[in-house]
Amino acid sequence: MRDVAAVSIRGISKHYGKLKAVRNLELEAAPGEVLGFLGLNGAGKTTTIRILLDLLRPTSGSAFIFGHDCQKEGLQARSQIGYLPAEMGIYSDLTGRDVLDLLAGLNRKPVDMSHRGELQERLGLADSDLRRRLREYSTGMKRKLGLIQAFQSNPLLLILDEPTEGLDPLMQEAFNALVADTRRRGATVFMSSHVLSEVDRVCDRVALLRQGELVLLSTVEDIRQAASREVRGYFAEDAPPPAVLPPGATMIDGGPRVWTLKVEGLLGPLMEVLRTLPVTDVEVVQATLEDVVMKYYRGGVE
Amino acid sequence: MSGPVLLLAHSLKRMRTLVLSMGALLGAFQVVLVLVAGSIQRSGGFEQLSALLPPFAREMMGPSMTSFMSFGGIVCLGYFHLVVIAALVGLSIAVATVPASEVETGFIDLVLSRPLARHWIITRSMAAVILSIATVIGLMMLGTWVGLSMLAPPGAEWPSAKLVGSLALNLGLLMLCWGGMALAIGSAARRRSVAGGCTAVLALAGFLLDYVGRLWNPAARVAWLSPFRYYSSFDMIVGGSLPAKNVEVLCGVALAGFIAAHWLFARRDLAR
Repeated sequence: MRDVAAVSIRGISKHYGKLKAVRNLELEAAPGEVLGFLGLNGAGKTTTIRILLDLLRPTSGSAFIFGHDCQKEGLQARSQIGYLPAEMGIYSDLTGRDVLDLLAGLNRKPVDMSHRGELQERLGLADSDLRRRLREYSTGMKRKLGLIQAFQSNPLLLILDEPTEGLDPLMQEAFNALVADTRRRGATVFMSSHVLSEVDRVCDRVALLRQGELVLLSTVEDIRQAASREVRGYFAEDAPPPAVLPPGATMIDGGPRVWTLKVEGLLGPLMEVLRTLPVTDVEVVQATLEDVVMKYYRGGVE
Repeated sequence: MSGPVLLLAHSLKRMRTLVLSMGALLGAFQVVLVLVAGSIQRSGGFEQLSALLPPFAREMMGPSMTSFMSFGGIVCLGYFHLVVIAALVGLSIAVATVPASEVETGFIDLVLSRPLARHWIITRSMAAVILSIATVIGLMMLGTWVGLSMLAPPGAEWPSAKLVGSLALNLGLLMLCWGGMALAIGSAARRRSVAGGCTAVLALAGFLLDYVGRLWNPAARVAWLSPFRYYSSFDMIVGGSLPAKNVEVLCGVALAGFIAAHWLFARRDLAR
């Protein structure tokens, strides 16, 4: 199982009449990887996830989980999945324990109750909470319950749709730690999210959908590297800006003693220029994932 | 417990209050009917009623009125009373449209993200329909037996076990038929209210068609389309046996509904 991709999406399209929800999507998630699946509302993230779970049938293309076709070999494909939907559609008259027991019973492998207990402890959902009916649960408690049901069977693949929606900052930290542990034990996490800081922290790679199309697939580190940085140079005496800047560098503000530049790619050539000047300090402001992704969201990058 | 059995147990647990309370109510209604029939019997009312109604009036008023003419007829009234039939059709629809409800609420996402084949959702509902109908009608029969054993006046002619059994079987199959249709409609619907509403309208249309078909010849030509045509309560009360055609048609429609439900549910997108 280690040799095949945890998730392999090959040319998936999903059309609803004239609406093209997903267009010719090609994507793979390797075993042990945490892949962030980003996009605005309606970008096609949930549609793609539902195709992986065989809840939706693609118009064309195929999807595989650990080499099993999600549509033709759905049972094998889903036997290793833990899934957290964006909204937990559960009956409000059930208790938390009823929900966990029912969903655990539908899995093929038994749930280790000590693991469930550990998850409860990490996410702050006590036994007394599990005895309460869901109608008494807050949004955050429902989310915690959703996370426990997804993680409780120690699946090899976790498909999480907006996992931290409704969680407080402390619980978001607990979730990040849980994902890190999951990756350490070799499982794959395929998570859609709106929270870019969370993706930045926990994901190895990012796939970004816009209007059903994959517009970015890269490691978080590469995105940061490729993104333009802001560089500020401080001078001991007036330094007139040069007539020609190195490739990739653009002057934003060329004040007499402070220059502000935008630099794409390597910083070396700019440093060569600065070396000849009376520099007192250089400040490099790294681009965040958010800066890059926002450009894609706005449609500024093709 | 395997996944499908667990799912069935979960569904039965959820509907047990509805099924058991309806069964208890209809069972109690049977007990009350024995009391009513006993009271009329003691006052000699059956002879008086029979003498009052001319034959054409009996036909016009339908089987539920003409069957008042005997102790056994009154006792069996619960098996073909309009309100009882409406309640049972409602129960069949409620149980059979659970898949539509599960799609609507998103519960299906959690269930089918597990290694569970889609057809189990329909098979589970089919089993739930059969078990809930059997439970309610079983409790009605229990109420009939308890009422007759404890409250029937001496000398009253009890309806035969065969008659009660035939009525119960025919009624159960009629409900199974509506359950099959509701399941087929519910398997293609996104909203339970739409599936339930469509089936309820069909049931009403079927009932009216059967009723008009009994009174008016032109309508009689198409009345065979109504499942209610295959519930011969009056014929059985006046001494006939359960026609094999009734069993065949109602089972056939129910089976067609279940097959259609499997086919539709297997092919559809499960989206809210």
